[in-house]
Formats: sequence, C-alpha cells, structure tokens
Amino acid sequence: MDASLIIWIVGAALAAVAIYTFIGFIPGTDETSVLLPITLAIVLAGVEPMAVLAFFIAAIVTLNLTNVMPTALVNLPGGVMSSAMIEHAIEIKKDGKSAQVIKKMAAASAIGVIISVPLSLSVAFLLRPVGQAIAPYGAWLFIIGAIFLSLISRAKILSLFAIVPLSVLFMALRHLYWGLGVVPDQTPITVSFFLGITIGPLLVSLFRLLNRKTFEESIIEDEKHITIPVRDSNPEKNPLRLLNREEATHAGIGGFLVNFFFVLSPVGLTILVGETFGRRFKEKIKRAFMSVTTMSAVVQATYLSGIIIPLLALGTPLSPVAIGPGNALFRAEPVFSLDNNIHHILSVGQFAFAVVIGATIALVITYLFITRFAVDFTRIILKKVPHEAVLGLFIAFIVLLAYMDAGLINIFGVLLIGLLSGTLNRMGVNYGVQFMSLYAAPLIVQLLSGGV
Amino acid sequence: MKKSLLEIWGDVVEAKALVFSIVIITTLTMGAHLLAPSDNDTLGLFAGIGGAVSGFLICAFLFKPRRIITKEEGDR
Repeated sequence: MDASLIIWIVGAALAAVAIYTFIGFIPGTDETSVLLPITLAIVLAGVEPMAVLAFFIAAIVTLNLTNVMPTALVNLPGGVMSSAMIEHAIEIKKDGKSAQVIKKMAAASAIGVIISVPLSLSVAFLLRPVGQAIAPYGAWLFIIGAIFLSLISRAKILSLFAIVPLSVLFMALRHLYWGLGVVPDQTPITVSFFLGITIGPLLVSLFRLLNRKTFEESIIEDEKHITIPVRDSNPEKNPLRLLNREEATHAGIGGFLVNFFFVLSPVGLTILVGETFGRRFKEKIKRAFMSVTTMSAVVQATYLSGIIIPLLALGTPLSPVAIGPGNALFRAEPVFSLDNNIHHILSVGQFAFAVVIGATIALVITYLFITRFAVDFTRIILKKVPHEAVLGLFIAFIVLLAYMDAGLINIFGVLLIGLLSGTLNRMGVNYGVQFMSLYAAPLIVQLLSGGV
Repeated sequence: MKKSLLEIWGDVVEAKALVFSIVIITTLTMGAHLLAPSDNDTLGLFAGIGGAVSGFLICAFLFKPRRIITKEEGDR
C-alpha cells in the first residue's frame, strides 16, 4: 500500500468527520437522506474503494455520536436512531442532568465502536465461505428478509400484506420508464426509490397541510420553547471513568449482542436492547441513564455490523443499513454493481484496514469535540439553523436524485412512492420491510406473472 | 398569508418560510444541476449538492428559527 492511498483514506475519513459532525448536531436530519447522496457522490467521483469505505465508516460513527447531542441537550432527536432515546432524554433533562449525560453517552458510544469493529469484522470473516455459497440465491434472500422483518415487526399481518403491492408499485414504475424509453431497458432504478421510502412520512405530513382544513387545525400558538443546560465543568475525558461500572457493562454487552442480529432494523434493536436493559432498574432516573447509555453503544454497533457484515461476507445488501444508507457501497452504477462492488474489489486485509482507520479517526476526533464543545455547538446550531431549511434540503435532495435517475417523470413517480410508503409507515409498516420489498420486487413480480 | 406556526417532525416551522425554503433550495439545486454538463453524472450530482447547500445557507440567513432559547438554571 503506498503513501498516497493512505493519505486518501485518512483524508476521506477526516472529510466525513467534518461534514457529519455539523449535520449530526442539526435536529431531524434523517440518517439515510444525509448519508446516501453524499456517499453516492464520492463513489461516482471514482474515489478509491478503500477511501470510500473509510469515508462511510467514519460518517456513521460521527453521525451516531453527534446525533445524540441535540437529543439529550434540548430533546430534539438528531436523527431517526436517536428518536428511540427521546423519552429517557426528556426524563434526564427534567432532572437537570443533560449536560452530564452527554459525556456518558459519548463514552458508551465509544465502547460500542470499540467492541463492534473487531467483532463484526470477525463475524464477517467467518461468514465469508457461507456467503459465497448462498450468493446465487440472493434474490430469494430478499423475499425471505422481507417476510422475516414483517414477522418480527409490531404490525406483522399488515407488513406481510404490504410487501406485494409495494413490489408491484416499484416494478410498475420501472416498466413504465423502460416502456417510455426514459431510461434504457432493464436499468434498475433504486436510489431515488429508496429516498422516496425514507422521506415518505415527511411527504405525508407536508401534503396533509395542503388541505386547508388540516392546515388550520395544525396551527399552533407558540414557538418552540427550548432550554439549554450550562456546560458540565467536569474535565474528565476517560470513557471508563465517565461511566460507572454498571453502565459500562451494559453498554458493552448490548454492543456485543446486536452484532449477531445485523439483519434486523437498527431502530428496533436499539429500542429492544435499551429498554430491556433499562427496565432492570427500578429508580426512574437511573433507568433513564442506563437506557440512554446502552442505546448509545447499541446504535453504533447496529450500524457498524449492519454495513460491515453484509459487505465483507456477502457483497449483497442483506441488512437494513446496507440496503438504506449504505446502498451506494453495493450498487452505484456504473462504478459498483451487485457483482462488482467493495466486497469483490477489496481483500479482507484492505477492508479491515479501511474500516479500522475510518472508525478510529472518527471516534477520536468526534469524542474529543463532543466532550468539550457539545453544549456550545448545539446552541449555535439551534440559533442559526431554521427547521424550514432542513426540510427544504430534504425535498431538494429527493427531487435531484429522482430527476437524475429517470428525469422529470420520476419526480412524480418518487412522490407516489413517498405518499404510499409514508402512509404505510404511519400505519406501522417499518422502513426495513419496505426497503426489503424494493430489493425483492423483481423476483416477486416475476413469480406473480408466471415466469421464474 | 399571516404567520402560521406549525409543528412538523418534532420542531416548529412557519408556513410561509417553509414554502419559500422548499422553493429556494429546490430551485438552486436543480438550477445548478441543469447548468452542469449533462453527460457527466458525477459533476451533475456535485453541482446539485452544491446548489442545495447554498440554498440551505441562504434560507438559514433569511429565516430565523422558531425557537425560544433560554438557559437552564444550572445542573443540580
């Protein structure tokens, strides 16, 4: 490995830290919407695969660490993952301990990364032979995945019923574009469809407002009241001293366990593990502390294992993280395809090197930044960044990627997907099931129309 | 249109500012994208993201967040 490649890898990781520290502190920035377009741009720009991987790993570590800051400090979730912590974060803030808890959360988050990186690399390495054996049946795995995710979700039957109609919609749009000649025959439109699913709930909320009656009913009297804590003056930075023994153990065990469940929804796992561990403690505030610290570790571990294991072991996106935010590492035509992506291009050693560098750089810088500047930075963001601009940015991203995928007509195609997905989402069909259905769609539609 | 505050996605927005933000950012994003050479997807994507970021900054300058921020009394 020559020096210029190492500079690329380190540079990519640093760039990810800079970009996602900023984004992470902005409340309500959905992970998939902010990770996917930028990663895609980096891939398409022809950046070295190792540097791309280091970028993505650094991005998720940074984002997962910074997203919990506005959640804890001002009770506005930084992203989808941190919405799982909001109840406990409110409890802690009421008790006036939010400035103290963010350091604990950062420490727990560090534990999650430190455990998850070597563990998921090892699991992936062991699964590699199995991966090669099952790779030809990839398309079936998506159907099994969609059914499986439905069965473990809260709305089981509804989710099962949603799989086929969603698949029909996705394929209908693709066939429409192929038929009209908007894109070459058999081009699999994916990226914009993903974002359509991700942004669905927001689209539904916005479109409801176009009905005058709903609009008038939604008007509220007052601006958002937010109190910001004073910075915690404790100079301690050692993660093991910031957490008490119980918190460190729970964070460690949680971060360890979830690696083996990488195919499950990260939000679901975070809630499940965090709540289960927290419930062991009777005292309200102690329970809240335990839940948020465990969740901070688990969030990191779900994301890291969710991308590392499918990518290193299979090369097929078989986890919600791989299918959603990490999709560009698997499939970004013309650079990566399902038969030729990071999995096929990098050796195990190169892969591990890029992951470790990305994670280490992100963890060290973000951790130090947070333990010192989290409170001040949150205040600046809240004072300067209007929520309107954040929502406007999401809409612009989706319009851009829809247009790039299949022109003007696809902006409306994606709108259609968003409205359906968002409605299903509100009814209880989670992102995981919907993402899986998108991947399973070609085979499902083929089976339904009689050909195998 | 008078000022109408709404709660969307956990935070408060003002309806008119929201409409303007969406229009400004989307216009700049697509404008930058369409100005980039159409045979180069990478450049087109970067141009679009660049447009989006500038739109975002303009809106951050034009509209003030609908948040009333006060300091906590201090940790107990």
